[in-house]
Amino acid sequence: MMPGWLRGLLVLLGVAGLFAVPRITGNEYVLALGVSFAMFSVLSGGLNLVYGYTGLLSFAQVGFFGIGGYTSALLVTERGWPLEAGAACGGALAALVGLVIGYSSLRLSRHAFAIVSLSFAFLCMIVARDWVSLTRGAMGIPGLPVPVLHLPGWSWRLSRPADFYYLLMGFAVIAQAVIYLVVTSRLGRAMRAIKLNEALAQSQGISPLSYKLLALALSAFLAGVVGGLFVFYLTIVDPSIFDFYYTETMLIMVIIGGPGSFWGVLGASAVLAALPDLLRFTTDLRMVLYGAVLIAAMLVFPGGVGGWLQRRALRRWRRPRLAAP
Amino acid sequence: MDAGFYLQLLLNGIVIGVIYALVAMGLSLIFGVLEIVNFAHGEFYMLGAMLAYFLTMNMGLGYAATVVVVTAVAVCLGYVLYEALLASLEGGGFERSILLTLGLSMVLQNGAVFLFTTTPRMVQTSQSYVNLVVGDVRVSLMRVFALALGLLAFGALYLILYGTRIGRAMRGVAQNRDAALMVGIDPRAVSRLAVAIGIGLSGLAGAALAPVYAVHPLMGFSFVFKAFAIIIIGGLGNVAGAAVAAVALGMLESVIGGFLPLVMVDALVFSSMIAMLLLRPQGLFGRGVRV
Amino acid sequence: MTLLLEVTGLTKRYLGLTAVDRVAFEVEGGTVVGLIGPNGSGKSTIVDCLSGFQRADGGQWRLDGRALTGLPAHRIARAGLTRTFQTVRAYDELTLLDNLRVAAQERDGVGWLPSLSRGPRLRAAEKAAEARGRDLLTTVGLAEYAQAPAAILSYGQRKLLAIAAAMMARPKLVVLDEPVAGVNPTMIRRIETVIHQLNAEGVTFVIVEHNMDFIMSLCRRVIVLEAGEKIADGPPHLIRSDPHVLAAYLGQRRAAELVLPLPKGERAG
Repeated sequence: MMPGWLRGLLVLLGVAGLFAVPRITGNEYVLALGVSFAMFSVLSGGLNLVYGYTGLLSFAQVGFFGIGGYTSALLVTERGWPLEAGAACGGALAALVGLVIGYSSLRLSRHAFAIVSLSFAFLCMIVARDWVSLTRGAMGIPGLPVPVLHLPGWSWRLSRPADFYYLLMGFAVIAQAVIYLVVTSRLGRAMRAIKLNEALAQSQGISPLSYKLLALALSAFLAGVVGGLFVFYLTIVDPSIFDFYYTETMLIMVIIGGPGSFWGVLGASAVLAALPDLLRFTTDLRMVLYGAVLIAAMLVFPGGVGGWLQRRALRRWRRPRLAAP
Repeated sequence: MDAGFYLQLLLNGIVIGVIYALVAMGLSLIFGVLEIVNFAHGEFYMLGAMLAYFLTMNMGLGYAATVVVVTAVAVCLGYVLYEALLASLEGGGFERSILLTLGLSMVLQNGAVFLFTTTPRMVQTSQSYVNLVVGDVRVSLMRVFALALGLLAFGALYLILYGTRIGRAMRGVAQNRDAALMVGIDPRAVSRLAVAIGIGLSGLAGAALAPVYAVHPLMGFSFVFKAFAIIIIGGLGNVAGAAVAAVALGMLESVIGGFLPLVMVDALVFSSMIAMLLLRPQGLFGRGVRV
Repeated sequence: MTLLLEVTGLTKRYLGLTAVDRVAFEVEGGTVVGLIGPNGSGKSTIVDCLSGFQRADGGQWRLDGRALTGLPAHRIARAGLTRTFQTVRAYDELTLLDNLRVAAQERDGVGWLPSLSRGPRLRAAEKAAEARGRDLLTTVGLAEYAQAPAAILSYGQRKLLAIAAAMMARPKLVVLDEPVAGVNPTMIRRIETVIHQLNAEGVTFVIVEHNMDFIMSLCRRVIVLEAGEKIADGPPHLIRSDPHVLAAYLGQRRAAELVLPLPKGERAG
């Protein structure tokens, strides 16, 4: 185990390094990878909170992401709201929707929740594509304006790629800090308890539904906000924001990183955000590959990297016990 | 609007409802027996339709023979699916089963997109443009054929579930898993057959609808969305409930679809699933689901 | 002695079968009460209903004067009635100490926000929980594994951990569902000692068990069920000679010898 101060120092150095990137290189490709990593780390981190820690397999993240994107884009373009208000509103709406689908299905079973969350993500795509009066249909809302972020005493016009890099990386750092705070607190401990043995947790006074809804709402909020920011980087929001591609990618990140392992999932997000561009696959084949990875992971490698580390830790405890007389 | 128009919509609704029922009953049967939600279920419907397309359009096989071949292939695929992937999950891992079938769905769907592109294709048979006309109502022969196939499959499923030993065992497991296992039912044989039947029904549904709707690799994905709502509304694991809910949904959808944009229908389907979960979580027709 | 648990008219039906039929009993504070009966007599159903894990079809129960009827499981636990499970449960990936800390955290009154801000209240509560957890681990003899994940424990040790966890939140009443089924004799004596010790500290127990020697030596009062009905209720020496009980058990034993010669501990899952 690393001492706490060393870990803190490493994290500080890592964050400083990430923020130094645009000063070192103006290379747009590098910045784009950084934005992609920042965005995916928030999505996969939220999914890890819901699935990895609380044991709820959710396919709704992409729905929250897109709801945030659409809400923020519509509020900024149609109502002239500032970016921060639009994105926050998108996050809040996503959290609200998350509470509704969570509350309705979780009382029945985890199976029902998995089904409802997938149906929800799918419905989002249909609504975005076909409810033209609300979402402008398949063409989406192109040409989103250069947004302005109003911080106390400072207006920030996000006109260069580097601005978006700073913005999304900054939000990702905050989001990860929030997730870290939750999972290392005793709330996170209760969530893990629910995942590991729900009936036992209940018998100890833990209300599984409350914690599940907390995890769901928090991850929905973060996904909604990051969606609300990301669409302005793309300068367009259209139904492809609900594409299953996002769901598959963040699932793979969590599975490879190890559900319930904060640093594992963060690391997997970094690797996988960069990897597809390195591999230069066509999208369809990449999805085939991801699907195959998922199947293989479920058959032979269920715990991911994090699970493997945990098993190693377990063996360390077992060995001296066996050796004892 | 006259009565003929409504009758027309209702009839179309029954046809699509019966096909929904084929997919949803298989999904519900697999859930009831194995406690696995098969997220790849819609892809087998897609594969059935694609295979029907290639058999009729590329190989020149007659439509009736095509339906038989597709169903047989789907049943075999069900066996393979169970033996290769699902058997290893037996009794363990709710997440693993979902992620495994989801991964399979990704492979099948995107593999099909890669191989065949998303261009819609039509299965054309010699009877494609033949209509039956009764009074004001005009129905294409292929729809009637699809309906007949669906009803035939209902009958066959009923015979298997109620007339055979293993069918009764299957119902037993779906109703009370622990009790059924205690009285000496071989869970592997029952599960294997349930998956084979479920996938077979899905493939049959694909073949039945191929001449009526366009065939393309993404068709399974949108279809299974309805099937999920159906099995929740009918009661998870309740096969008969799924059939009733499916036919009702097909008719509702067809009638409403005559007046409202399709997105409203989908939104309605989803909202009725949520409403059902809030008001009557065990589904219209019950069967308590053990968590 | 005060009345701690009052149960009246408890009824549970499955598919037309009445598994528990209008069962009524009380438990006085500070006692150890045994709940016995042949297989399928409804003991476990009673435990599940009282603790909120199954919905009862009829009846009322109060703990220390407070009505618990119909509350969800976690609220019943917070009200002071905790239970253990027949198939032992533990959080395998958490350390023993964390297993115990989780069990206490919903009853120390520290809410979600203070839990996140990690202020002095939370630190005090967690410190108290850790102290109590270490005490209980010492009591059940698992102190040396405090920092080890629960997955390393043996079957009997897990039963001890479950008892300790049920004690964490200082409940008024603890229901132990088959605490010694499938456990070796040495471990049974250990569990017996632990229950004695905790009872001496004022905890009230209801114990569901098949092991007669264990029940008879531990309980001052025994309730006997057969086919969902209470057929006897009294001190062990009277129960031993009660004709109804003998009939129920003899009938059961004969039937058991004929059909199901299961050795004890077969149910260990």
